[in-house]
Amino acid sequence: MEEIQYIGEHLLPGQIGKACVMLSFAAAVLAAVAYYFATEKRETPEADGWLKIGRTAWTAHGIGMFGVVSVLFYIMINHYFEYRYVQSQVSADLPFQYIFSAFWGDQEGSFLLWLFWHVVLGFVLIFTAKKWEAPVMASLSLIQIVIVSMILGVYVGFGADALKFGSNPFDLLRDTMEAPIFAQADYVTLIKGRGLNPLLQNYWMTIHPPTLFLGFASTSIPFCYAMAGLWTREHQAWLKPVLPWALFSGAILGTGILMGAAWAYEALTFGGYWAWDPVENMSLVPWIILVAGIHTNLIARSAGYSIKATYLFYAFTFIMIVYSTFLTRSGVLGDTSVHAFTEMGLENQLVAFIGIFFLQTMWLYFSRMKGIPVKEKEEKAASKEFWMFIGSLVLLFSAVMITASTSLPVYNKIREVFDPLFEGRTIADAVDHFNKYQLWIGVFVALLSGTTQFLRWGGKNWDDKRRKKFMVRMGAAFIVSAALTGLLCLWINATAWQYIVLLFSGVFAIVTNADYAIFYARTNLKATASALSHVGFGVLLIGIMASGLNKRHISTNPFAQRDMGLSSEMLDKNVLLYKNFPMYMSGYRVTYTGDTLVGNDRRYDITYEKLDSVGRVTEEFAVRPTILYDNALTKVAAYNPSTKHYLHKDIFTHIATIAEREADMEVRKEFEDTLTHYRYDLPYDTPLSVIDTTRKKGPDGTPETYYLKHEIELIEITESPNRPDYEPEEGDRIIGAKLKITPQIADTVFYANPMLVLRGARVYTYPDQIDPINMRLRLHPDLIDLTFPPESALNYEAKTFGIGETQTIGNLRVTFQNVFSNPEHPSYVAQEGDLAVGGNIKVENLSNGVTEILQPLYIIREGRPFVVKDSDNRTGAHVLFESINPATESFALRVAEAPATQNIVPLEISTKSYRTDYIVLETIVFPGINLVWLGSIMMMVGLTVGVFQRKRGI
Amino acid sequence: MKKSHIIAIVMIVAAIGIFISSGSDMTTFSTFKEATATQKVVKVSGDLVKNKEMYYDEQENPNLFTFYLKDSEGQERKVILNNAKPQDFEKSENIVVTGKMQNDEFVATDMLMKCPSKYKDEEIYVKSKETASIMN
Repeated sequence: MEEIQYIGEHLLPGQIGKACVMLSFAAAVLAAVAYYFATEKRETPEADGWLKIGRTAWTAHGIGMFGVVSVLFYIMINHYFEYRYVQSQVSADLPFQYIFSAFWGDQEGSFLLWLFWHVVLGFVLIFTAKKWEAPVMASLSLIQIVIVSMILGVYVGFGADALKFGSNPFDLLRDTMEAPIFAQADYVTLIKGRGLNPLLQNYWMTIHPPTLFLGFASTSIPFCYAMAGLWTREHQAWLKPVLPWALFSGAILGTGILMGAAWAYEALTFGGYWAWDPVENMSLVPWIILVAGIHTNLIARSAGYSIKATYLFYAFTFIMIVYSTFLTRSGVLGDTSVHAFTEMGLENQLVAFIGIFFLQTMWLYFSRMKGIPVKEKEEKAASKEFWMFIGSLVLLFSAVMITASTSLPVYNKIREVFDPLFEGRTIADAVDHFNKYQLWIGVFVALLSGTTQFLRWGGKNWDDKRRKKFMVRMGAAFIVSAALTGLLCLWINATAWQYIVLLFSGVFAIVTNADYAIFYARTNLKATASALSHVGFGVLLIGIMASGLNKRHISTNPFAQRDMGLSSEMLDKNVLLYKNFPMYMSGYRVTYTGDTLVGNDRRYDITYEKLDSVGRVTEEFAVRPTILYDNALTKVAAYNPSTKHYLHKDIFTHIATIAEREADMEVRKEFEDTLTHYRYDLPYDTPLSVIDTTRKKGPDGTPETYYLKHEIELIEITESPNRPDYEPEEGDRIIGAKLKITPQIADTVFYANPMLVLRGARVYTYPDQIDPINMRLRLHPDLIDLTFPPESALNYEAKTFGIGETQTIGNLRVTFQNVFSNPEHPSYVAQEGDLAVGGNIKVENLSNGVTEILQPLYIIREGRPFVVKDSDNRTGAHVLFESINPATESFALRVAEAPATQNIVPLEISTKSYRTDYIVLETIVFPGINLVWLGSIMMMVGLTVGVFQRKRGI
Repeated sequence: MKKSHIIAIVMIVAAIGIFISSGSDMTTFSTFKEATATQKVVKVSGDLVKNKEMYYDEQENPNLFTFYLKDSEGQERKVILNNAKPQDFEKSENIVVTGKMQNDEFVATDMLMKCPSKYKDEEIYVKSKETASIMN
């Protein structure tokens, strides 16, 4: 094939970008080697040299990464659509604030985000890790090598058997796919960007991924420390410096997960913050293991037990992060998750990713196992370390359970390899399945957290007196918690005993930990962080129970329906709301008052009025759920909720669906094409009847046809625009009609304002719709000829007037009243520097007695005069200036009388233009949801406080 | 034996117990035939029958949506969903409904659709119609 010389491509940035990828890959390899030798040859004179090489290599790696990120931003901002990644993520109309979202919207960009954070954390380590720098950075460099390989885009081997390593964000579109358009040398000028998925055009997409990936990246540090501890056989020394990193990671990863939950709740419509989606699960699992690791780390520091467990927990935190990366990015989850990325064809590489770090862990662990100190003496039953370790095991248990269930698609895939007939299993009800088992994890963790706080390391001084004190304290906490749980049950509808147990556990965790904080925080500052986190966990549990169990739909009348014997699952969830037509539901009067389109966001205004028993409005608020159209504004892409927040509950509202003709422009066009209009000639002064047929179900259920008579009357003909959707242009001639419609059945009258615009030689029609009677009215273009007779049909006569002078021209008695400045006319748009005057000219038609004031204009623009005619079709007068003589104050006018017209307005009416001004609304109340957020935030703050305390070595 | 070992063993036993008991949570997909036989809540996976009536009239009842589904054995049944018609329903390739049979109709409480995502298409968007059609 002949090589095509493409024009208009920007190849240089891509070349620089690819070079930066190569540089950062090579530098990571060099850093890994250098840090490896710096570790192996520690305490020899050579070590220093290796360390310097390692640092330099890491700096080079960082520069390379910085280059990759900058170039990718550069080509995205400049819309270089010849690059595949740019073409798939950006479009010319993408608002700038979403460039970041577009950057990490797909595989390569999110790998880059992850790499970027590793670079940053690596520099922090270089400056702070001291003697741990070399072994820790060696592992971190290895991680970087593996992740950079994901964006290498290098083929090893030849032909069809070539192995692909990574997917490069700087690949050209024409190199990654085949299409006939690439036969054109100037294809760059023809293509456009696909644009960011509208679901991701959201500020959560700007803040959630960076936080989550910082969380991901931060789990690497405890992993690297664990590897370093094993490698250098310093099984005790690493436990101290790793702790702040682990706490930091727990806080950031937790915040990242929490943001995901908040995003789901605030912006998606599944009506909740956690759905046990595989991707959610697999970000939670590493966090749970990490928290278990933090606890064994504390045990190991204070009591000397659990060092092995700490190694394994920190190692598996990172390995589970990699496993979750595999699940989300390999396509193995298929359609079971909403989060899955586009497949990249790198499944094997992702499996290798897991394999490498699993093997690294296993090899180091088993080769060093014998040397890891183990305390021979067993923990005392009344010691803090024993119960904390049990708590960590419970957490591990939870992680194993979640992982096992979530990995079902992987299990299915493996079974299918051996048995092609194997039918894949799925979890029948994921939410139910996970809640059922994880509930007990919550119970154990909450109870353990409360009791263990009051035990001492090594079970010190555990005598009868202390045991008695402990028992009294726990007994008191038990009684207080039981009483509080009883009170809570008045609010929370705990339908099963298991829920009451969980509630009690949550309350118990709060009571005991608060007690602990009050009595011990003064003497032991570490208590604050721990107590805060554990109280937070208790609060979270209560929040989950309250918002989950008391969640109810109010977009319906549940009590009435329950009386009808419907099961709760079969209750209606949605109501239909017509515009400006209030609807009563569950104690509220709800009205949809209108909507506005901003960009591709359509916002609906919905007001809620809470009514008391006698129907008085006690409270009023508005919500604005939105509908997001796709980038071309042709189809709805997403429905976004709106929530009214209270301290004690949320009212969550979203639009379930809208009329199909509003949701899909293709459907609308099809419908409009099939709509039949009938012509009616409406006389100026006599109302006209329009017959409408409607079919309704008769008493026996068979459809019957009804006839309805609507009366239409002309109020006025106007030449001023009366439509908000009309944008004036100079030279437009406008004719609009104001019509009054009196329907036969409704007890109200409607007004319609159809309009025609004559712009150049084209006629634009602005129809009007009266939704309650499904009527669409438009003016027939014949009205133009009736209103604006062609100039050739007019017989002008020139006359000169003084101010106040009256002359008779044919049937018209014309009085020149006066002139005025700053005139206005529908077909005149004032410009800077215009000299414009208007005349008030009274015209009386002597044959029909109609009198009107006409206002023609005389304008001098850029030294040249031009005029704007005024006309009136009731008098039939057409008047324009010919010239003005300022010296004599005389005005030359040209006046013509239009030939007599029929005084009719030709209308086209369709009575089958069904209304689309309605929405289907779903409203859910989540009581106590703020406890979920409050509890989670307390846990994160507790972890963060821990970071600073451990950093200062308290 | 250490206490923590005993507890660990108890947990492992519990885990095995849970795995066995949770086997009932894991299902293969049912067919309409089986659903008729058991009269219990099951999951049926199938394809939308595109040439049969799909009914949703939000102005009549915003909580009633019916359509026909063909299960893996080729059996077609009417499915009644007590909720609004989901967005892009027509495009779905595969549908999983949870519910039970009632007089030859499948009353669904939950529905999951598998849609070919429109954002994953391998498409080049071309600027104007004159130059070229959209290519696959």
